[in-house]
Amino acid sequence: MMSEVRSAAVLPRPLVVAKARVEPVADTDTAWVRLVYRYLAWSTAWLVFGTLVGEYLGIKFVRPDLDHVAWLSFGRLRPVHTNTVFWGWSSLAMLGMALYVVPKTSRRSLYSFPLAYLSLALINVSVLVGDLLLMNGITNGAQEYREYIWPVQAVFATGVILIAYNLIRTIATRDVEEIYISNWYIMGGLLWTIALLVIAYIPWYQQNGISETVIQGFYMHMGVGMWFTPIVLGLTYYSLPRLLNKPIYSYSLGVLAFWTQMVFYSMIGAHHFIFAPIPWWLQTVAIIFSVGMVVTLAAGTGNFLLTMRGSGRMIARSYSLPFILAGVLSYFLFSFQGTFEALRPLQALWHFTNYTVAHSHLTMYGFVAFLIWGTVYGLVPRMTGHEPPALGVGIHFWFALIGLLLYSIALMIGGTMQGDNWIAGNPFIHSVTDMLPYWLWRAVGGSLMFVSHLVFAWNVWAMRPRAAVVATAAAGE
Amino acid sequence: MTFDVGRNHWLLFGVSFFGFIGLAFIVGIGPAIWVQDHTRPLPGAVAPTADETAGLHVFVSEGCVYCHTQQVRPLEMDAVWGRPSAPGDYAFVQALDIWRPYAPAILGSERTGPDLSNVGTRQGSDVWQYLHLYNPRSVVDGSVMPAFPWLFDVKPAAAPGDTVVPVPASYAPAHGVVVPNARGRVLVAYLLSRKQVPMEGYGGAPGAGSSGEAGAAAAPATSGAN
Repeated sequence: MMSEVRSAAVLPRPLVVAKARVEPVADTDTAWVRLVYRYLAWSTAWLVFGTLVGEYLGIKFVRPDLDHVAWLSFGRLRPVHTNTVFWGWSSLAMLGMALYVVPKTSRRSLYSFPLAYLSLALINVSVLVGDLLLMNGITNGAQEYREYIWPVQAVFATGVILIAYNLIRTIATRDVEEIYISNWYIMGGLLWTIALLVIAYIPWYQQNGISETVIQGFYMHMGVGMWFTPIVLGLTYYSLPRLLNKPIYSYSLGVLAFWTQMVFYSMIGAHHFIFAPIPWWLQTVAIIFSVGMVVTLAAGTGNFLLTMRGSGRMIARSYSLPFILAGVLSYFLFSFQGTFEALRPLQALWHFTNYTVAHSHLTMYGFVAFLIWGTVYGLVPRMTGHEPPALGVGIHFWFALIGLLLYSIALMIGGTMQGDNWIAGNPFIHSVTDMLPYWLWRAVGGSLMFVSHLVFAWNVWAMRPRAAVVATAAAGE
Repeated sequence: MTFDVGRNHWLLFGVSFFGFIGLAFIVGIGPAIWVQDHTRPLPGAVAPTADETAGLHVFVSEGCVYCHTQQVRPLEMDAVWGRPSAPGDYAFVQALDIWRPYAPAILGSERTGPDLSNVGTRQGSDVWQYLHLYNPRSVVDGSVMPAFPWLFDVKPAAAPGDTVVPVPASYAPAHGVVVPNARGRVLVAYLLSRKQVPMEGYGGAPGAGSSGEAGAAAAPATSGAN
């Protein structure tokens, strides 16, 4: 025992592997850096709050009598979790990074800073007010991701429209001839989502249970795949080549993936209502185009992986690139999983089960959140001149990844058992009681994920812009 | 003026924006208008009463839909819930109010709890529904459904006309009697109205017809959601 301690003292083994450091020169436009950082800080606050709620909901599956407070009940808090991580965390984080990437690739400064701050305020207000209303039971109903009533979502939409205007004006006066591929995706995401929000909140064609369902299938699908998907892919088209210091493998593959994303993805919303009494042809179209998405996935993922080819050592030495690698692989694997789920025989087994919950976390977390984190760790130290602690980033990465895997594998196994129970014709309660061990593992995985977010918040704090640093960086130059 | 979308931002953004709206008409707005114009209540279906409509508001507000479907698929595994759902089953689901000018989503996407298309037939006793809402574990062992005590009042003694909920001692409050409040009463009215309208040659609701009436008069069941 003693000798072990002594030898450890002689040969100290570092707790974390040494990671490559970023170049010491920060971006000099401090107003711009502060704007981007404000978006990041708010999004991080929403991440911590939203996943705290999610963690609490996960525990409620195991301890349903944990509290008997109306505004903490499962039915009211579930939309608080989903809407907060959608509109508060993921949206603000990726928009903040877009406010950096678009001017950078357009080689000019952002069109308007006050407009960008106004957008931030509007989105924050909408999430805050929307959450409070949901906890008070004021909701559109279980229209997933559009539970906020229209006056609230109108405030959110105004924020998005102002950002779109801000970025269009930036791109329109760019100092390069070509529109960089990142900006195709970022602007695509913004414009499609503006159209989507308006379409989803116009009431005239949603006046009975079935017409509303048709729009809901369309909306809940596009709300993810025409908003988060294109914008985080757009960010990756900037951050990956920049971090690897080499160009993207193929510009044309990026363009192919862009147009197929728009045409194929738009058609597949109805695959959330397979076997529902909505038109059968609509379900079939959705399934066919779900399979077609393999083209988009292969083009996008192939492009990123071929860009990374030969840079294995660089990825291993970086603390940001592993997040991007995990995000890209998740994008391929779990979108592909979505295609499989859309096929009728598998849908019969998995629809209505917890398998679906695993899928939504694998995509929104494994794909979207990991790409956002990779971009944040890759770009923010290069803006502020402050790096996060390597140990903190390591804990964040492994806790988030292992937590996600525990969470999802438990729910995929449990969800399949739920479906099997129903097919076997067992009494319904069996499909509930059989889930208990899997719900317990889900709560364990969720706890790891939540802890990783606290560490991420600490890392964000460590990367904050501060006046002294700008002076140091300037002196360094 | 160039027609290269990689250089002409107005062309790129215009094609993306209006192209998407065009696609939305094909698979979203168009089909929605069509089904809305072609959905009629089923023959024999009765419009919801004021209480049942108020109950739907409570059902929506408490987020019941997140765990309970009202959607029977045309699959053998779903036959236990009734006949396959038809568009007409949802014809009476209409906009809530000016703040929610859309029909609420009641088809559901998760079945953590049982499907409710026929719950009024399956569990037709209002007393059972009250017990179950006050604390689900008092009637169903192993249930993970939330308790909804805020749909009830605890009174020192029952007033005339009150429905006293016979909560088992281990779940009952220390003093007084448990009585459903207005929101609790309309929610149960809504739940008891969840009975599929039989359709000729389209499969029947399990236990449809007389058993629903019998259930309403029966003493509270002690266990089993089904």
